[in-house]
Amino acid sequence: MPRERHIMGLFRDEDSVVSAINELKQSRYKFIRVNTPFPSHKIMDALKLKKSMVGWFTLCGGILGFIGGFGLAVYASTQWNLIVGGKPVIAWVPFVIVGFEATILCSVFGNVIGLLTQARLPSYRWLRYYDPRCSGEYFGVLAACEIEQEDGLKEFFQKQGADVKVFE
Amino acid sequence: MSENGKKTMAKQKSNKFWVFLILVAIGAATFIFGLNGRHPERAWQAYLINFLLWSAIAQGAVLFSAVMHMTKARWSGPLSGLSESFTAFFPISYILFLLLFLGKAHIFPWLHEDLHGKEVWLNIPFLFTRDCIGLLILYILGFGYLFNAMQLKLDPNQPKSKLRQSIYDAWKRNNRQPDQIRRRMTIWGGLYILAFALVLCLIGFDLIMSMDPHWISTLFGAYHFVKAFYMGLGALIILAAIIRLRQGEASRLNASHFHDIGKLYFAFCLLWADFFYVQLLVIYYGNIPEETHYVIIRTVLAPWNKLAWTVFIVCFIGPFFILLRQGVKTKPVLMLIICSVVIVGLWLEHLLLLAPALSHEATQAIPLSLSDGLISLGFLGLMAFAIGYFLKVFPETIRVKESN
Repeated sequence: MPRERHIMGLFRDEDSVVSAINELKQSRYKFIRVNTPFPSHKIMDALKLKKSMVGWFTLCGGILGFIGGFGLAVYASTQWNLIVGGKPVIAWVPFVIVGFEATILCSVFGNVIGLLTQARLPSYRWLRYYDPRCSGEYFGVLAACEIEQEDGLKEFFQKQGADVKVFE
Repeated sequence: MSENGKKTMAKQKSNKFWVFLILVAIGAATFIFGLNGRHPERAWQAYLINFLLWSAIAQGAVLFSAVMHMTKARWSGPLSGLSESFTAFFPISYILFLLLFLGKAHIFPWLHEDLHGKEVWLNIPFLFTRDCIGLLILYILGFGYLFNAMQLKLDPNQPKSKLRQSIYDAWKRNNRQPDQIRRRMTIWGGLYILAFALVLCLIGFDLIMSMDPHWISTLFGAYHFVKAFYMGLGALIILAAIIRLRQGEASRLNASHFHDIGKLYFAFCLLWADFFYVQLLVIYYGNIPEETHYVIIRTVLAPWNKLAWTVFIVCFIGPFFILLRQGVKTKPVLMLIICSVVIVGLWLEHLLLLAPALSHEATQAIPLSLSDGLISLGFLGLMAFAIGYFLKVFPETIRVKESN
């Protein structure tokens, strides 16, 4: 059983969060995650995350939707081979509508699927280590340490100017 | 900035003005040469295309500032101020429109046609009267908006010139508080937006659609003002890129500004293509010969089909795929190139709409030659001169605080 203690430091402003994250990464404690009540560019930059792959999901969805939409319209027309108002059976001008809408639809689907998979949602792993104040006016920085180092980590957060919450 | 630096920049600026005036002279000379040649209608065709293009660019760019104010947008920052500089072209545009009267015999193909009752609308006195009044209203509203918008930006302790001094005196006489000024900006801006839509619809119908007097498309006017905003945004990006490249950090234009206006530009690329497609679809499905002959000549038959595909690829397909990437939108040099190419493409689009009606003899080749390019350079010189003059007289435009 992992003998780890999880401690969350609750900060009231982004800049102290950024400095806490930077120092935490250089310390011997394990930095896990940050909960923020609103999106923050500074914290995002400090986390130095890899570039997101969600855009590629959207692009693939869009391409598939484009081909699929036109394909559906072409397939449906060729099943009946009707000549409507003198137009060719496969008429690209009106098929653009189906293709366009399908492109948008499938790129949105791709975006949502990308978001869910890349963010690993729904995620219950960290629910245990969550403080409701993080949806209010506090930022929560979660770190883990050995049980023996618990006091050191608590002091670390208090030095940064944060409230401390210790999880079982 | 040091005294030496100021002097070199002033000399650079006056050099620029000479370059612009030389361009204008080249354009005017080519135009007059063309007028006295064998095909004066070609010269007038180039004049009309350029008048429509550059006026739309100026009107669309100023619309950006009005829209940003009406929506209480704050992301635009210095861009709103830059877009107001395009009002300097309004007086030039108005004079150019008045000069169009001189070429009426060569510009309007319906002068001696049997218009089956449309003479009530399409006759020279009525057309010029309503378009003159419309443009006058639009430009007055634009200047009214500018008058109030400038008051929040300019420093009254630096008169610098008689023009500024007279404006300051007018402001002192009115003696208004900032929130009063903002309310006035909202009123003038709202009226400008409304006039933009209505007057550009009118211009689109009168000066482009009427060239083929027996063809109508109801959305054509709106198509023209959407195109105008698309072009205006492109020109604004070009101007912002030039300012950013010349001034660097001091321009207060950063990557996020370019990203945001690049995204708006992308959206209007789609909107312009959409307005074009909507008209095409209706005509395609109705298949009424009265309507389809216009489209068939321009999109299916040689020599115009090549031009039509060029316009479609340059103005829609190209920007669509290029502007999908985030990185492209944040680099001023790339956006400058892309927006310039698109404006050239939209010049060709005007040619595509107007030339089959104006040059009936052109069944083998597209009537496009070096003289058209030189006349366009002249108009470019006029626009650059106007904006350069505005930025010289009101340099605070480039250094604007974030919120309007």
